[in-house]
Amino acid sequence: MTEVAYETEHDIVVPGHEDHSGHHEGLPGTIGHVSPVKSLVVVLLCLLTLTVITVAVAQVNLGRMNVVVAIGIACVKASIVAMWFMHLRYDKRFNFWILIGSLAFVAWMVGYILFDSSMYQHNIRDYRETHNIYNAPIPDPHEGGEGHEE
Amino acid sequence: MSTVAEADSKQEALPERPKELAMHFDTLHQQFTTTKLGMWLFLGQELLFFCGLFTAYSVYRANHQEMFHYAHYFLDWKLGGANTVVLLCSSLTAAWSVRCAQLEQRKGLIVTLILTFLCACAFMTIKYIEYSHKIHIGAVWGSHFGVNQADFPEHLKETYPDLTSEQLQQMNAGSFFAIYFCMTGLHGIHVLVGMGLYIWLLIRAIRGDFNRKYYGAVDNVALYWHIVDIIWIFLFPLLYLIG
Repeated sequence: MTEVAYETEHDIVVPGHEDHSGHHEGLPGTIGHVSPVKSLVVVLLCLLTLTVITVAVAQVNLGRMNVVVAIGIACVKASIVAMWFMHLRYDKRFNFWILIGSLAFVAWMVGYILFDSSMYQHNIRDYRETHNIYNAPIPDPHEGGEGHEE
Repeated sequence: MSTVAEADSKQEALPERPKELAMHFDTLHQQFTTTKLGMWLFLGQELLFFCGLFTAYSVYRANHQEMFHYAHYFLDWKLGGANTVVLLCSSLTAAWSVRCAQLEQRKGLIVTLILTFLCACAFMTIKYIEYSHKIHIGAVWGSHFGVNQADFPEHLKETYPDLTSEQLQQMNAGSFFAIYFCMTGLHGIHVLVGMGLYIWLLIRAIRGDFNRKYYGAVDNVALYWHIVDIIWIFLFPLLYLIG
């Protein structure tokens, strides 16, 4: 018997490639990257801090920028979860590209339909105004309401 | 005769096949990476699944900002924020459970799985409080929407004392709640599924199924749980915070 079957790839140490992550922890032959407790806790603290920031920023009226800031912080939080909690940083690159590919289609669908629906909104608005259907009061600007989109 | 004996001796020479290794895989490592690839493909389509609802949200919000502005006062950001914290903590315990499985810490694995399950229970309890209050005052989907002015949230009454129930109905505030209940409802169903999965993992962990080379189930359920968390990371600010 020259080779052992059912062996894991990680047991075979290629010279010069002994350590992939910089901090190797775990039992011999463990499959996958073992996250240190410290990094898990730091990630949680980052996420909680960003949650506090997103709540705090939402209390300030930045007009249109409120949406941008909220989605921006959410994207950062989601990336942190994906990279560390979901091990994407240490995972096979292909899994990362599956996620990116999926997100590209998400952006395409949201963006395209948003663009498309905005093309005929003025028709709907005109119709509602001439038929006196639309009577919504416009919020006070100082309360964060952005009024009509033009 | 001799060829059969030869084949028999060859089979004996092979090391024992691990009981966790499915017959269509060569190694445990191959089995692990394959199931993980499958999980990521599933998560990719989960995002597309939710994407339809996020598109509905974006289109309605872009075209009916005032309706979103008034209606978002009905959501309590404190409850939403509490749910965010609960889910983030459960994400930590889920990630920790993977670590415990990798290090074969059976007790730690059982504790982290139970903690994740309890966080999910807390999330659903808070969700139940929110839902029952909204249904009670009539802040529900579509044409069923109808909230008496007396039941308006205090903050909304203070900011817009002249706003009437009829005005909210005229601007179709029910559309906001249709989107709200669809998005949080679909997310809630995912949380319930996750709770079922964590019970399954707990039974298997107590049975001692997992080891350093076979913990794919723990890892993949944790990945699913993190995606559920990521969806909520977007739902919370979009629904509760920005009006």
